[in-house]
Amino acid sequence: MASDLLSIGRSGAQAARVALDVTAQNIANASSDGYVRRSARLAEVSSTGGMGAVGDVSLSGVRLEGVVRNADLFRQAEVRRTGADAARADAEVAGLENVQAAVEQSNVYNAMVGFEGSLQQLVGDPTSASLRANVIESARTMVGTFNIAASALDAVGTGLGFEATDAITQVNTLSGELARVNLRLARAADASSDQTSLLDQRDSLLQQLSAFTDVSTRINADATVELRLGGASGPLMVQGGSAGTLGMTTAGDGTLSFAVSGFTAAPAAPAAAALTGGSLAGKAQALVKLAAVHARLDSLADTMAATVNAAQTAGITPANAAGQPLFGGGAPFTAASLTLALTDGAGIATAPASAGANSRDATNLNALRTALGSADPVGGMDALLFDISGTVQGRTVTRDALRTIANGAQVSLQAQAGVDLDQEAVNLVRFQQAFQASGKVMQTAKDIFDTLLAIR
Amino acid sequence: MTTISTSTSAFYERSSMDIADLRARAEGLQADLSRGQRIARSSDDPVGASRLRQLQRADSLSQIDVANAAKANTNLQLTDSALGTFADYVTRIQELTTQAANGTMTDAARASLGTEIAQIRGNMIQLANSRDVEGGALFGGQSAGDAFTLDSAGNATYAGTGTAGDLPLGDGQNVTRGLTGPEFLKLPAGSGQPDLLAALKALADGLQAGGAAAVQAAQDGLAALNQGMDQITTAQTVVGTRLAWVDLTTERRTNLGEMRSAEETDVGGTDIASTVARLQETMTVLEASQASFTKLASLSLFSLLN
Repeated sequence: MASDLLSIGRSGAQAARVALDVTAQNIANASSDGYVRRSARLAEVSSTGGMGAVGDVSLSGVRLEGVVRNADLFRQAEVRRTGADAARADAEVAGLENVQAAVEQSNVYNAMVGFEGSLQQLVGDPTSASLRANVIESARTMVGTFNIAASALDAVGTGLGFEATDAITQVNTLSGELARVNLRLARAADASSDQTSLLDQRDSLLQQLSAFTDVSTRINADATVELRLGGASGPLMVQGGSAGTLGMTTAGDGTLSFAVSGFTAAPAAPAAAALTGGSLAGKAQALVKLAAVHARLDSLADTMAATVNAAQTAGITPANAAGQPLFGGGAPFTAASLTLALTDGAGIATAPASAGANSRDATNLNALRTALGSADPVGGMDALLFDISGTVQGRTVTRDALRTIANGAQVSLQAQAGVDLDQEAVNLVRFQQAFQASGKVMQTAKDIFDTLLAIR
Repeated sequence: MTTISTSTSAFYERSSMDIADLRARAEGLQADLSRGQRIARSSDDPVGASRLRQLQRADSLSQIDVANAAKANTNLQLTDSALGTFADYVTRIQELTTQAANGTMTDAARASLGTEIAQIRGNMIQLANSRDVEGGALFGGQSAGDAFTLDSAGNATYAGTGTAGDLPLGDGQNVTRGLTGPEFLKLPAGSGQPDLLAALKALADGLQAGGAAAVQAAQDGLAALNQGMDQITTAQTVVGTRLAWVDLTTERRTNLGEMRSAEETDVGGTDIASTVARLQETMTVLEASQASFTKLASLSLFSLLN
């Protein structure tokens, strides 16, 4: 008989104390970010009989086997994957909305219609100085709005590039942090509270990283993580205690490309990373669209200016001089370089070359309007605005769907891994009762001992 | 026993997401109502926004067509009243010439009739050189100066261009803004004189010269005047038809404008009744979820366990 009632009671009281501590820790961290609910795993202490003591009763109480972290790896991976998708869509839609605002709010479409209208008005009285001045001022407004649209687009591009640079810094910081956590994880004892908090940190870092880029992870046996960027076949970013460096290259048209350096030998080129998730990918996609919109805006400005200038030079002014180009900054004209070359309404060539001075013949003006009508830069601008807004609308629908999915994954992880205060309240009562019961066991042991001592 | 596993933070997160979503929806509906426009940015409805842009473009160009039509209308009315005066002058000259054609009249009396006709011809040249609303020559086509110039002998020569030029009235429709001098003063070939003004000069000169040729000149003049009158009344008909054409296109433009604004309201306007109903619905759901959230959040086992 190797049992000791008093020590069994003591071990029970100790185990209940530990379980109460774990419960208190859970309650205290009920709203901590990335905290995963712990539970104490208890195990019986008993031994089989030894030499000559087979069949003996040998009970030694209970011991704490470990602190269990109730994390579901699959749900965590889902949160990272869907979160990266949602972050990408968010960043893309935000960038595209800015692109839309840059083109739409510059009012370039309205200014083009205004210029078209001023030409039509001039047909009514081609020699009127006030109508000619009106054409010049409308052209000035249009040039201004083209310039504004171009600089607004550039500003959007600069802003996106700046944010992407910041995101790159964050990714590198987080990866460095993850490598350090990996080092400590490799040394931490199994199921110790040190390890569980390191695991919390590891998962939280991975989740933060997934907001910037899509990450592909592999958890090793020692709980360290191996991280790749841009899918399972992407370049290695974190392995054990070492982390690579994510770099960004901006092309001439403002589009971005990414590469990881640090894991390849020095002379080799950094491994290119094709990011498909996270805010970095979203910004890169928005910049691709921005470059396309910018090119189309430039081509519209070129069509408008080249058409008007060609018609101008075919006619004569009221002073019987050959018409001079209305727009400058050209060959080819871009939205940013477009300027107003003609500032005097008297220089508008409304009459054909044969008409003579002061003619009210509007043949050349009508030719200009016909040329503008067939080149149709105004319709082109409408199509451009439609293209941008259609893209924004489509992406917004995708964004909302991805966000709903990400929120669902987040809530589902929280429901599984988070702290439920009601359950903790029940645990508090349960372990308190266990503690009291163990106390009672010790009391009983004392009473028995006293009974034995009282024999006389 | 199966339990629905939920953690405290998941409950709060889910509630806050739901309430924030409802709130955002209510705010969106409220913004639609206060703006009166369904489309704040093109991406709210790309097709509708593009349609609105095209309608607004058509509207702003139509405003200019209205101005052009008014200008054409005024010029044509000026032309019409000038033609009326021309017809009056020709009638007066016809009376005078009929008197002069009487063989019993003395040369002196014929000469004085010739002088009066010369005076009236001068008035007609003045009238032919009158100005339109833009300050150009009313009958000079697209030239800037006078329609007719006089040489030292008193011969009137047309100095304008061949056509009066068109004004656009929208939707590809045009109207010729007026008449050129030759269009209503030219006499038919074979009448002996190129135009009415030359015929009148020959008549006045003939009457003033006297003699037997004067009666013949009066006879010739009467024939020319009849032909000239025909030309002027024909021109008046042409101008009247053009005025009717301007009226017709104006009416059409007004109808199109009304259709456009109706479509603009359809495409871009807020349907107040349905939006208010949806707002009310959203508010009801929002209030209910807020109330149920408060009730659930205040439920804690801790307050019940002692």
